[in-house]
Amino acid sequence: MIDTLFTGLSLGSILLIVALGLAITYGAMGVINMAHGDLVMVGAYTTVMSGIWLHLGFFAAIPVAFVVTAMIGLAIERLIVRHLYGRLLDTLLATWGVAILLQQAVRLEFGASFFGRHIEGLGTGLQKVSVPEWMQGTFTIAGADINIYRTMIIVVALLFTALTWVLMYRTPVGMQLRAIMRNPKMAAACGIDVDRMNALAFAYGSGLAGVAGVLMSGFKTVFPDMGTPLVVDGFLVVVVGGVGSLFGTLAASGLLGQINGVVAAVSNDILARAVIFGVVIAIIVFKPSGLFSYKGR
Amino acid sequence: MTSRRAIEIAGYALFIAAILLAPLVLGEFWINRIAKYLVFGMLGVAICLSWGYAGILNLGQGLFFGIGAYMMAMSLKLASTTSQQAASDTPIPDFMFWNAEPGAEQELCCITKTSFLWIPFQNQWFGLVMAVLVPTLIATGLGAIVFRKRISGVFVSVIMLALVLLVRLLIINNQPLTNGFNGLTDLGSFTVGAVVFDNFSKATYYAVALALALSLIGARLLVETRAGMVLQAVRDDANRARYLGFDVPHYQTFFFAVSAAIAGVAGLLYVNVASFASPTFMDLSFSITMVVWAAVGGRQSLLGACIGAILINVMEAGMSETQALVESWRAIIGIVFIAVVLFLPRGLAGLAGDLIDAATRPRSDAAAKLQVTSNRGGA
Amino acid sequence: MGAAALTLDGLGVDFSGFKAVSNVSTVIEEGELRVLLGANGAGKTTLMDLVSGRTRATEGRVFLFEKDITNREEFVIARSGLGRKFQIPSVFKDLSVRRNLLVASCPSRGVFSNLRFGFPAASRNRVEEVLELIGLADDAQETAANLSHGQTQWLELGLLIVQNPKVLLLDEPTAGMTAAETQKTARIINALRGRHTLVVVEHDMAFVREIAERITVLHLGQIIAEGDIAHIENHPQVKEAYLGSGGIH
Repeated sequence: MIDTLFTGLSLGSILLIVALGLAITYGAMGVINMAHGDLVMVGAYTTVMSGIWLHLGFFAAIPVAFVVTAMIGLAIERLIVRHLYGRLLDTLLATWGVAILLQQAVRLEFGASFFGRHIEGLGTGLQKVSVPEWMQGTFTIAGADINIYRTMIIVVALLFTALTWVLMYRTPVGMQLRAIMRNPKMAAACGIDVDRMNALAFAYGSGLAGVAGVLMSGFKTVFPDMGTPLVVDGFLVVVVGGVGSLFGTLAASGLLGQINGVVAAVSNDILARAVIFGVVIAIIVFKPSGLFSYKGR
Repeated sequence: MTSRRAIEIAGYALFIAAILLAPLVLGEFWINRIAKYLVFGMLGVAICLSWGYAGILNLGQGLFFGIGAYMMAMSLKLASTTSQQAASDTPIPDFMFWNAEPGAEQELCCITKTSFLWIPFQNQWFGLVMAVLVPTLIATGLGAIVFRKRISGVFVSVIMLALVLLVRLLIINNQPLTNGFNGLTDLGSFTVGAVVFDNFSKATYYAVALALALSLIGARLLVETRAGMVLQAVRDDANRARYLGFDVPHYQTFFFAVSAAIAGVAGLLYVNVASFASPTFMDLSFSITMVVWAAVGGRQSLLGACIGAILINVMEAGMSETQALVESWRAIIGIVFIAVVLFLPRGLAGLAGDLIDAATRPRSDAAAKLQVTSNRGGA
Repeated sequence: MGAAALTLDGLGVDFSGFKAVSNVSTVIEEGELRVLLGANGAGKTTLMDLVSGRTRATEGRVFLFEKDITNREEFVIARSGLGRKFQIPSVFKDLSVRRNLLVASCPSRGVFSNLRFGFPAASRNRVEEVLELIGLADDAQETAANLSHGQTQWLELGLLIVQNPKVLLLDEPTAGMTAAETQKTARIINALRGRHTLVVVEHDMAFVREIAERITVLHLGQIIAEGDIAHIENHPQVKEAYLGSGGIH
């Protein structure tokens, strides 16, 4: 029982850390960033590369990955998303194009493979990250074996959620962002620099994706395609939780994680995912604004 | 008839003539390859009809394609020599033997818990009809729920996306019924009298070419009907259309269902050309790739989306010599796609249209200038 | 005295405690031109939303002649013979003026009945008639997006007229118009009088004076007065809430 519960929490925390960044960009600008999953992938590869080339440890990779993906996110916002303001479906498509580019950049090793060279840590193959000794193995609670690494993920996910909450609800910047989420035109009329805030929000959300990537690299193999299923999962969480609701994202990831865990325990992983998709479709159809969205008029 | 229209009709005529005459100059291997591209062209038409005309971006078109494919493949699997030669009264697909219920009777009705669902597929026509009917019914049902609830465009796309992934997982998870990940291979051929639609035969090619031509012309005629004009109005301002008495969800569902039917036919034809059906047809990347074809070709041009799909695949095939070329090609497509979305929303067809307009404008320039001044004077 | 074209009986809506419209009852007779007056936020547009099916009423009923249209879907109400013109003119911007009107002129609104090519002669003639009436015959080929604000308003009126509705709801038909344009609009509306029943929401007092027969005044979601111009001008509550002591000028 505790096993299943923990699995659910673990799955939920992964969904949370991936969906958190997405919730910010989607909530602030209504932008569906299909490249988000590949930003997670970039975060994972940053961990690999910083391990190989900079000899950085696992935790040191977190700020590095944050900065790298935040910069990429900023570039995406400035170069592409900005020009598609209001055209939501087109933004979805354009960011999918960016996702393709990010994947190919890794596969082609930034062009090196074209010239027959190989940069270690990149390429079409699989990469692995080594996790510090103390994070491997399990500890025991109430007779159940709990994986240390997965516990660490839960802790980090909650920490970043708390950090995001503090930024959103306890800082002037966060207040401006919330104003934009409620009513962008009014916020602009009040003197808020909506452009700059959008860029910041996008960068921050992308940075969070990078952090998620670091965490994922510790227990999943790193390969160029790993991002696609993540962006889908992330979106499902955000859509279920409700636009602009941090609590909604938290609750939705917890809920979907638990459903996944329980169904997987009862039957198998694949059926669990199928059930999740079914649940999400039902929620969109019957409550399109999500479970916890604020009531607009 | 305006010159613009004449050029359009010429375009359609040329294209259809080209695809129907190709077998006269090309050999078996090429015919088979091109048949695949033509199937993708049909998918381009389907996406264009749904997206460019009805305003519904279907990110899960692979669902209808895949279901169409599996329906046909089930019939063809039962028609294969391996299945026919199984030591039983009814044909039994090989994978069912490997997944047989212990102690079960070795007949199609009972060898696994769900094998009885295959029974009607012994008739190849059943598979064919189901391949068109099931996607259409699903689309109609979906439309009835989703469009009636006025779910906004983005959410519809997300629902389609989730749905195709859901069905993909269900197929993978049902090894005894669908052979899971491996898909359906070692298929027989569709036969009509003396004609065998083997995957390299000219008959198959002509079937595909004809289907594509009919889809193109049919879809084009459809959008020129009054219903097509209403659809355009709905896409323009759904609210206004509603207040003029039009049942908007009906219109959307109708065109969505037609689009699904075309995709279903594409699926069944693909199975005849490629001789397999697989859950990869329902990969997310494939569904979105179809949207890329239509976007580049021209989301509001049926012929444009069709040619876009064919061209991109032809070029991709040309680039498949080395791994690096394949990856570079994908990167190029990514860049082209972003550029098209940002700068060329109506795709290459839109560009061609603008060029044609520019070429035919000088004659009507004077008349246009008169119109403008008379407008300013009025009101 | 004609039949009751539009009957509102205790109509109201409660948005989670906020009563935007409450207990509105009135009978608008066939061929009548009723003006709906009221300050911003008085509930005029909300009332129109309730009648035309855009917003769900939480109390009361609406009848179009004998037919109960309360809370039916918009397109059903539209097909029953109620046309609505919006405050922000809403036309099909990518289509030409003529095509806009042709779409509205479809004899039947179902999908399958429209799987035909072209429009019947009756529709096409009607469209030409309406083009004359709204004064856009010379601009019939123009794309609707290129029309001036006034022309767009007339086109929208045209869309409704083509369908020959029994009742027309016009939400501020002269909003944003010049004096000349307002006069033309008044002419069009006066031409419609008698053959159609009209309910007009307006602010422009000069315009109201041109067209009004009976006036209903709304304040904070409720009717506070109903009558002809003289009656309304001298009504103490109306003066206090809306007109000020100067009256209608």
